[in-house]
Amino acid sequence: MATRQKSIFQAKDPDFHDNLPRRHRAAKGWQVVLQASTVIGIIVLVALLLNIIDGAFGYVATQNSIEPEDLVMGVQEELMLTAPNTVASEDDNELAEGIASSPYAIGYFGYAYYLDRVDELRPLTVDGVAPTAETVDSGAYGLARPLFLYSTAEIMQEKPEVAAYLNFYLDRVNQEIEGVGYFALGDEALNAAMLTWLNATGIETVDAETVSWPVLDPQSVSGNVKTAGSSTVYPLSARMAELFQAAGYPGEVEIESIGSTAGFRRFCIAEDTDIVNASRPIKRAEVDLCNEADREPVEFRVGTDALAVVVSQENDFLTEVTTEQLRQIFTTAETWSDVDPGWPDEPIERFIPGADSGTLDFFTESVFDQDLADLPKETLVATLQDNVSKGLFRRFESEMPFEDRSKEDVYGLVVERVVEPEIVQTWPLFESVFGRSEVLAEAAAEYPDAEVSFVSWLNPKFIVNPQSANPERAGVRTAILGSLWTILITILFAFPLGVGAAIYLEEYAVDNRINRLIQTNINNLAGVPSIIYGMLGLAVFVRMLEVLTSGKLFGLVDPTTANGRTILSAGLTLGLLILPLIIINSQEAIKSVPNSLRQAGMGLGATRWQTIWHHVLPNAMPGVLTGTILAVSRAIGETAPLVVVGASTFITVDPTNPFSKFTTLPIQIYQWTSRPQDEFRNIAAAAILVLLVLLLTLNATAVLLRNRFSKRRMG
Amino acid sequence: MTDMSNRPRNGKYAIEARDLSVYYGDFRAVKTVNLRIEPRKITAIIGPSGCGKSTMLRAFNRMNELVPTAWAEGEVLFQGHNIYGDDVDAVQVRRHIGMVFQKPNPFPKTIYENVAWGARINGYKNSMDELVEKSLRQAALWDEVKDKLDQSGYSLSGGQQQRLCIARTIAVRPEIILMDETASDLEPVATLKIEDLMRQLAENYTIIVVTHNMQQAARVSDRTAFFMMDEDRAGYLVEYGPTKEIFTNPHNQRTEDYITGRFG
Repeated sequence: MATRQKSIFQAKDPDFHDNLPRRHRAAKGWQVVLQASTVIGIIVLVALLLNIIDGAFGYVATQNSIEPEDLVMGVQEELMLTAPNTVASEDDNELAEGIASSPYAIGYFGYAYYLDRVDELRPLTVDGVAPTAETVDSGAYGLARPLFLYSTAEIMQEKPEVAAYLNFYLDRVNQEIEGVGYFALGDEALNAAMLTWLNATGIETVDAETVSWPVLDPQSVSGNVKTAGSSTVYPLSARMAELFQAAGYPGEVEIESIGSTAGFRRFCIAEDTDIVNASRPIKRAEVDLCNEADREPVEFRVGTDALAVVVSQENDFLTEVTTEQLRQIFTTAETWSDVDPGWPDEPIERFIPGADSGTLDFFTESVFDQDLADLPKETLVATLQDNVSKGLFRRFESEMPFEDRSKEDVYGLVVERVVEPEIVQTWPLFESVFGRSEVLAEAAAEYPDAEVSFVSWLNPKFIVNPQSANPERAGVRTAILGSLWTILITILFAFPLGVGAAIYLEEYAVDNRINRLIQTNINNLAGVPSIIYGMLGLAVFVRMLEVLTSGKLFGLVDPTTANGRTILSAGLTLGLLILPLIIINSQEAIKSVPNSLRQAGMGLGATRWQTIWHHVLPNAMPGVLTGTILAVSRAIGETAPLVVVGASTFITVDPTNPFSKFTTLPIQIYQWTSRPQDEFRNIAAAAILVLLVLLLTLNATAVLLRNRFSKRRMG
Repeated sequence: MTDMSNRPRNGKYAIEARDLSVYYGDFRAVKTVNLRIEPRKITAIIGPSGCGKSTMLRAFNRMNELVPTAWAEGEVLFQGHNIYGDDVDAVQVRRHIGMVFQKPNPFPKTIYENVAWGARINGYKNSMDELVEKSLRQAALWDEVKDKLDQSGYSLSGGQQQRLCIARTIAVRPEIILMDETASDLEPVATLKIEDLMRQLAENYTIIVVTHNMQQAARVSDRTAFFMMDEDRAGYLVEYGPTKEIFTNPHNQRTEDYITGRFG
């Protein structure tokens, strides 16, 4: 029987080979555990970052307390109403009589109204176009706006009452429109509208020439019709609805006067109306919005709102004006010759509709088509004065006289204080991206007047603005400066002290009981909770050393900081906090410098200090700096000790010296996250990103410096 | 502190240990050694491992004191002074008695800086370039490194690094150079080069070398000191004399046993 040859690799354990698979499985298992924990760590980090980013960007609904266009309109109307020689009246007859009585008078009102006074009044051509049925109908006449109804083919087919209402509307509108004060459609435009109706209802497809208009019986339908939109169209639609019901329609026609824009939103986003009343054509973006909701709008032109600028029949010099001249004539010009030297040197007598009249608004809108930003500075200042409290206005004046301010500055104040855009709701990033239509629908339903826009809460303004109670104006400048100042003090205090202590302990200290005690203490201090350091800082730096930390010792007497709750106290406290870390890390770095280097130095007759300074320290420096970077990073992110030491939670004044009051980024973030309003959480997220970037920047700079340093050392 | 630089060389001996004992804490590593080193000669210290050769060598320039518990008893006379005297600064001693170690340990600096640094911190005022060149020439390294003085000392081979360490020691102008197994950690050709260099240096310097390589001691040294340890593991001097005599005709039986390889 052959004995089995024993390999030298054969283990003594007879079960060795049997156990091998189990051992391998165990090793594999540990590897999986380690990999899993790494992956979990990464997932947690990513989730954290995503969570922050989620808050820092997203949709907001902004509601202006007054729309800039309205503000501009108000300003212009005010200008017109307060111009000299101006009669403003809601009574068109008064205006007409006034204009007719003087050859130097001028005024405007609805064109339909002029038609009643053809004998006494004469309409002017505006920008070379005379108001006639054709020019108004085609849109060539500037002081006119088309009136529309919008619906969709689906709605008209699913709800016969809507189709019947539109049928009745188109059938009768030209008979009624002048009674309401608007301009009737030309035959062609009306036919086009009727053709659209025929195509949309699918009753029959015919060409415009041979259209046979079916008149539907209002009694044959039931159910309610919901419409919303322009206030200009409102009187016309109201009249038509009244007649529709009079003709036997058993349901209700609901007409909401909310403006064309809001009308389109209700129709396309909230989708709770059947028809939009609009005094302007639908915009491209609104069509997109509707299509997204599967509503393909069809358009019915129903009439035109036009104004006539009229003078007396006795007027012998004026037949045409430009828009520019109209602006002057109705606001700043005093005599006719002011506008055009060829015209008589007589005062202008103005007759305009009163402040409550929609006609005044329409005229202003058409003639003074200006943005708020285009207004002259004086007007903006006046606007500001009219709309903010006297106290606030005086404060602005005392901060910097309005004479010295730039127009942009004043404009900014007007936007901030008068237009006062206020965020009424915010949505986080992922909801904004993946649930865009839901967000838009929600905004349209709850805040029809609000403007929905995508914002980055982290923006340049956020970084340069000081703290504010208003989250839209709040920024982190004060906090960033506070953090930088504090960390500067921390480094100046802790780095030399920590490295010095490490050198002493490693290179000089004898191994005796006291030094061992010190070493043990330092190791323990590195694990003490940071709030304990805060209490130490409060007791020592804020209370005991108040004379020093408040700056009294240096003759600085600032009543607001005299209690020692200053940057200096905070920096020293954080310095104490990271001192053990720096010492321990530096000790390790110094320990790792090979002894042969010390011997080489000493063997050449160098003193211990020369050897340390020229050889040990430079070689330990990369390690020392790495430890310091880690420690300082921790200090930047600290909150608790600073709260105890007395960081201000609300401060708008930048720190200027070590004796300033202060706040830091983490404190600011902590304070914002504890506020109830949503927007504060958004800016807290943005501030966290700022803190992250600040940390990364400081660390990257330090690491770069360190690498350069060690490269140079290796020569 | 006594300034020892401008004194005439005293007597016959470069340095002399009298009843020298060296301790690490309570442990006596070297006991009552009397050893007179002749100037401009190479003296080898040989002996079995742990017999206190290196401790003895380091006692000559107080490098032992880098170990916190080390202390010495007895006297080491250098230029008529006991270097362990109360008025003597160890740093001063090391300026006059330089040391080269077993492992090459250049500074992580340029070749130039490696040589210049010791002289600079010792207040050398004349042309540094000249000193660097002269020291490198004396260390037989100049031709190999003259074009790359601004490169790191680590870029050199082991033997070159060791010669750089010798050059750096020479640059401080010591009277005595202590070499602690300086040529041991190198390959044979580099070792021979260092040995040649030692012979050349012996024309100007007193060299004391510790080696565990007896052929090397026989080849290179003028005088040899043989150390052994007693039953308390304390090293003591067994025999000291001209190298030829120690290796061919030792007086002491233990020396002969060691030389002939019967133990050690």
